[in-house]
Amino acid sequence: MPTPAVVEISRWQFAITAVFHMSFPALTVGLSLFLSVMYTVYVRTENPLYLQIFRFWKKIFAVGFGLGVVAGTVMTFEFGLNWGSYAHAVGPILGVTIGMEVITAFFLEAGFIGILLYGDGRVRPRTMAFACWMIVVGTLLSTTWILSANSWMQDPVGFTEVKGQFWASDWWHVLFNPAFSYRYPHILLAVLISACWFIGGIAAWYLVKQRALPFARRTLSIALGVLAILMPVQLYVGDATAAFMGAHQPAKLQAFEGNWKTDNNGYNLLVVPNTDKGENELHVEIPHLGAVIGKDLTGKANVPGLLQTPKDDRPNMWSAFYGFRAMYFTALAMFAMAFAGVVLRLRGRLYTARRFHRLMVWMAPAGVIAISGGWITAETGRQPWVVYGLIRTSDAVSHLSLGAAIASLIGFVGVYALLLGLWIRYIVRTVRTGPEYLVADVGPIVNRSEVNHA
Amino acid sequence: MLEYTSYALVLFALGAYLLLDGYDLGIGILSLFDRSDRRRKEYNELIATAWDANESWLILAGVALWAGLPGVYATVLPGVYLPLVVMLLAFVLRGAAIELQSAAPGYLRGWGLVFGLSSLVASLCQGLVAGAVLSGLPHRGGVFTGDTFDWFTPYSVLCALGLAAVHLLAGAAWLQDKTVGTAHHRAGLLGRPLLLTVAAAGVVLALGLSLADPQRFRFDEPLRTTLFGLAVAAAMVCGAIAWYGFGRRPDWRPFAAVAGVEAAGLLALVAATAPVVVPPNLTVHAAASPHGSQLFLLIGVGGCMPVVLAYNIYAWWVFRGKFTQPAALTDQSPALTDSVGPSDITAAEEHTADAPVSRAPGDGPRAAVVVRRVLVTLLAVAAAAVSQDIFGGVATWIDPTGIAVFSVTALAVWIRSDRRSASAGEFDLRAAER
Repeated sequence: MPTPAVVEISRWQFAITAVFHMSFPALTVGLSLFLSVMYTVYVRTENPLYLQIFRFWKKIFAVGFGLGVVAGTVMTFEFGLNWGSYAHAVGPILGVTIGMEVITAFFLEAGFIGILLYGDGRVRPRTMAFACWMIVVGTLLSTTWILSANSWMQDPVGFTEVKGQFWASDWWHVLFNPAFSYRYPHILLAVLISACWFIGGIAAWYLVKQRALPFARRTLSIALGVLAILMPVQLYVGDATAAFMGAHQPAKLQAFEGNWKTDNNGYNLLVVPNTDKGENELHVEIPHLGAVIGKDLTGKANVPGLLQTPKDDRPNMWSAFYGFRAMYFTALAMFAMAFAGVVLRLRGRLYTARRFHRLMVWMAPAGVIAISGGWITAETGRQPWVVYGLIRTSDAVSHLSLGAAIASLIGFVGVYALLLGLWIRYIVRTVRTGPEYLVADVGPIVNRSEVNHA
Repeated sequence: MLEYTSYALVLFALGAYLLLDGYDLGIGILSLFDRSDRRRKEYNELIATAWDANESWLILAGVALWAGLPGVYATVLPGVYLPLVVMLLAFVLRGAAIELQSAAPGYLRGWGLVFGLSSLVASLCQGLVAGAVLSGLPHRGGVFTGDTFDWFTPYSVLCALGLAAVHLLAGAAWLQDKTVGTAHHRAGLLGRPLLLTVAAAGVVLALGLSLADPQRFRFDEPLRTTLFGLAVAAAMVCGAIAWYGFGRRPDWRPFAAVAGVEAAGLLALVAATAPVVVPPNLTVHAAASPHGSQLFLLIGVGGCMPVVLAYNIYAWWVFRGKFTQPAALTDQSPALTDSVGPSDITAAEEHTADAPVSRAPGDGPRAAVVVRRVLVTLLAVAAAAVSQDIFGGVATWIDPTGIAVFSVTALAVWIRSDRRSASAGEFDLRAAER
């Protein structure tokens, strides 16, 4: 039997590879939609500004998409590599779901990405626009299937257990499980929002530097406009998701509220949990707010604590608590900024408010941070189950030696840290270089800074 | 019967992968041996349009295996853990190298080297995996039970070398089809020695298989013998065509012939081994998932496959013919750019100068500004609270309708102001450039 150390290392490896992978779709799903809209507008209006925007963002999109694809390839095989027993048990259900993702979404993206990235000048503009929209369809389908599979693990329904395997008895229920209907809109909004912050943050940088102004104004305006609409919706949907999770996975809710006992009605800002003793060593809270959030305006109702769950079934409070805080507080900051954007817009100062622009630059990674926090909450809050209530993570692991597991963990951490650094450097360089400048009204765009570098 | 269809799907995906990613891995390895930076960049650009689609076939093979034959998936993947992890890491680095290299204006030596080396490592690891699977992995109840280094056998090392040769062959054939000049000439010269190597590797590996796994070759059934013989004959015919085609027109012929060799070789292997997937005794029947799952998978994948093939062929058609640099990359005219640069910078500087001092109309005395900002902040907090449905009791009128009203108001504000900005010329690129 695999030792607990192998389980622990495999969990870390999966967590790291999953969060790394997720950061790329978090940007590229929204970016692909943005690129498609920009290109379509360009095709319809022939305004070169939109072509400039398209070509600039295409550079960032191309590398991000490539990294997302290879990191996703790793994920596909990791289910079997480290989690062989799990793969055998859930293959008849999740293998099929992921298989549908690959055939409907992955191939669609892969087929048209070449045209989107290298088709300029080879295909007609309309074909380019079509390829862009196909990428959007692909990324959205991909999100759908993945969320369906992941939600099934959170709240498994529609199956029968035969010989240690899960066989689907009702595919409709398996694919469109109850958790999916809450989590899918939540994550869909999240990826669009995080792309908007990324786009808006970089546009704001150009406004701070007073470079490429029409480009920066146009993109900032689009990003903030979309955010103004989506942020309130997202907070609402997120609240509904949390309520659903509280009802279906009480241990997760107990863990991310940061309480052990059930005698507290406050909202915890900071806790240092001691998992062995089952108490918090440090505990900073706002009194009564927890109850208010739990829809009791008198502030008396107590927030449930983790001691209600048997010791063996408790998730790690550290990751769930701080993952949730990372998501929630970033979301509040994002909401406030989006709101401020609307106010500034009403007063006609959106393009001159310097401090706002500086803040926006800092907000560029906000969406990715929130999504990572959300995933950490969702996935570690489900522990110690890999399929909630059915398979424990410790029973899901492959027959591996400790050495092999450690070696692969080191390999992934090393390569991913390197790539993350290079990706950030690439973004910084691309942004510094700036969008390509148009020469007169016609003809190909010439990249000024590229010439300077040469 | 259904499990054979699932197995066929896996094999089809594997075959497509072997051919398609095979050529791009092969070109990656070949780029290590080319001294010219311009050509190495060209090799990279040749791959950049297609590597993603090519790699998808491996993912399909893996996932179809998981869904259709979970017993095999759960046995093989942990069984070949280390080579598979190294292969995935090589893929990760390779993808990054291709994309970053392709996004860069010139040739980046470091990324070029990463591209070549990771292609080589990935090919060797794939060979190790294939060799390990063919020589058998210990398992019980659909789960791997062996040791960490069970994959490391003399046979799997031979397999690694053999597969690298196969990839190189496909790479050379693809190069002949897609390039002109020196690269084209070299591909033509490389083809025949590579073909000989592959043929030798095929013979050695086929003989070695009976040593690596003695209970395997039982050619007592006539059907099996006939299929095997036909597949080997087809491989030899295709090999002969490839031999003739290298260095001769039409340029597409060697690649088509190599495709034939690979398909026939895979068929011969399956004819010799089916229904065993992982020796000594893991068969298609034992590893298969339930009827319903396979049916779902096959209907879903089978229904989509024609569409997938159609647009893959279309994408290939867009980039047909010899490789050329895209117009935007080659067409650079420094003279024009210089004339644009300075004027734009001065325009920007002018803007910087007056931006901080300009005050929006309606800014009153300081106290009024502070009061207004506090009020707006409170309003934002209230709006956040409302959208959070904190006041549970009043949710009936806030609920989705309230959120919709809130969002639509924001949208209306945005559209109105955006129109105003547009008519004020704030988005006018042409004016800014002049």
